[in-house]
Amino acid sequence: MNSEILLSARSMEFSYRSRIWGFRRFEYKVLKGLTFDIRRGETLGIMGRNGCGKSSLLRILNGVVAPTGGELVTSERISRILLTLGMGFDQSLSGRDNAMLSAMLQGYDRQAAREALESIKEFSELGDFFERPVKTYSSGMRSRLGFATAMKTDVDLLLIDETLSVGDQHFKRKAEKAMMEKVSSNQTVVFVSHSGKQVEKVCSRALWLEDGLIMAEGDTREVSREYRRFMDKLDESGGDVAWAQSK
Amino acid sequence: MTPFQFISLLDLKARMSLKSEASKLYLSYLWWVIEPLLWALSFYFVFEILLSFGRDLFFILSGKVVFLWFSKAVTSGSDSIANSRGLINQTNMPKAFFPYHKLQVVLYKQWLVFLVLFCLAAFWGHFPDWQWFWLLPLFVVQYFLIALCTLIAALAVSYVGDMRILINMAMMSLMFMSGIFWDISQIEDPARRDMLLTFNPLAYLIDAYRAIIIRNELYDLGHLAVLGVVCLAGIVFMHWVYHVKSQDIAARVINA
Repeated sequence: MNSEILLSARSMEFSYRSRIWGFRRFEYKVLKGLTFDIRRGETLGIMGRNGCGKSSLLRILNGVVAPTGGELVTSERISRILLTLGMGFDQSLSGRDNAMLSAMLQGYDRQAAREALESIKEFSELGDFFERPVKTYSSGMRSRLGFATAMKTDVDLLLIDETLSVGDQHFKRKAEKAMMEKVSSNQTVVFVSHSGKQVEKVCSRALWLEDGLIMAEGDTREVSREYRRFMDKLDESGGDVAWAQSK
Repeated sequence: MTPFQFISLLDLKARMSLKSEASKLYLSYLWWVIEPLLWALSFYFVFEILLSFGRDLFFILSGKVVFLWFSKAVTSGSDSIANSRGLINQTNMPKAFFPYHKLQVVLYKQWLVFLVLFCLAAFWGHFPDWQWFWLLPLFVVQYFLIALCTLIAALAVSYVGDMRILINMAMMSLMFMSGIFWDISQIEDPARRDMLLTFNPLAYLIDAYRAIIIRNELYDLGHLAVLGVVCLAGIVFMHWVYHVKSQDIAARVINA
């Protein structure tokens, strides 16, 4: 557990201002002071229900936006990527062209991207459709292409947002296997999900996020149990929104 | 992202966008040639047939082609960051990529438009000679000018969406202020003429293109050099702004 710390959040806060109408804006505090570390090589699971601040946290960890309070300390310049299904695919371009663009967006140079294409094609099992425009794909085929492209990356920090449910049974198993390989390698992974079960399956350590605060942290099974107990209680009480308590 | 990766991705993405755009049209790449020809035809109809304008048709066309390069790039580039919400949400890439992407897309079409213009020039009796190599510095400086304006416009629109309307209006008034339909030399007061040429670089550029192609003269080289340096300095400054404001721009676009 004492391995090198890759990222560390210190009382990290995030709020955003959105425009409603004209000059009227509303400000909303999503993250209310998070403190945690991400160690090199670990797989950290973050669970929480809709609206608890998962996506904002991912955006900050990915370096897309800066925290509005507290700080996020990185030991060095780290390469990171948010694994998503299809980085803005262009519907009119072929799977090959889209995969090429995605690979380059993820930091490959042209040569390396071209070399990766065949393994992307093979992994996606799209066959001839790999050469056809993405608009002719079924939604399952699109996610196959997205997943195959995303899995080819090699970065310091891989962020995953509930993407395990991809395609049909066969491809889902294959995708999970590829994911597990990434996870068990030295790759540092942050896996975000609203399902405690999924986190339990993949992660070595977990956080439970509720209303912008960390409610529990530590052993995946324990955190997940607490999270599920909370969700069960919500079922009984008829539920209440995650953001209702915010002022 | 290294500068080399940036340029390489920019080039690929621009060519892919052209491919994608062309695949949506029945006449695909042919439109690159048809469009300038249609402009020529519509000008012929209005200025020769309806108005008997008396002005050399090629004079207007040359101005319009130079202006269209500018206006198309700046207008399409101004929306580029605001419209790239999806990608900005996913990666922390340099935000200058988006305006440059639009800039390249327009540039890659533009060389063909110029080729059509040169053919029309020959048609109206302005044949190419060695002097035409002086067009190259004009292309380069015009590219700098367009890049600077697009970077500013894209940043402005990503912060305040209303700027889009002002930019469209500015394009319209620039069209009338840049001497597309009239000759700069028609302005009799030299002080006013100089002021226009100084503060509207497009008017200067359009006149310089005409100097080479139509009048077989050399334009004011000193003026071009100053313009080039000013634009370059502006571009460097804008890159710095984009670099410093990268995450701020993302936050603005995501929560727009």
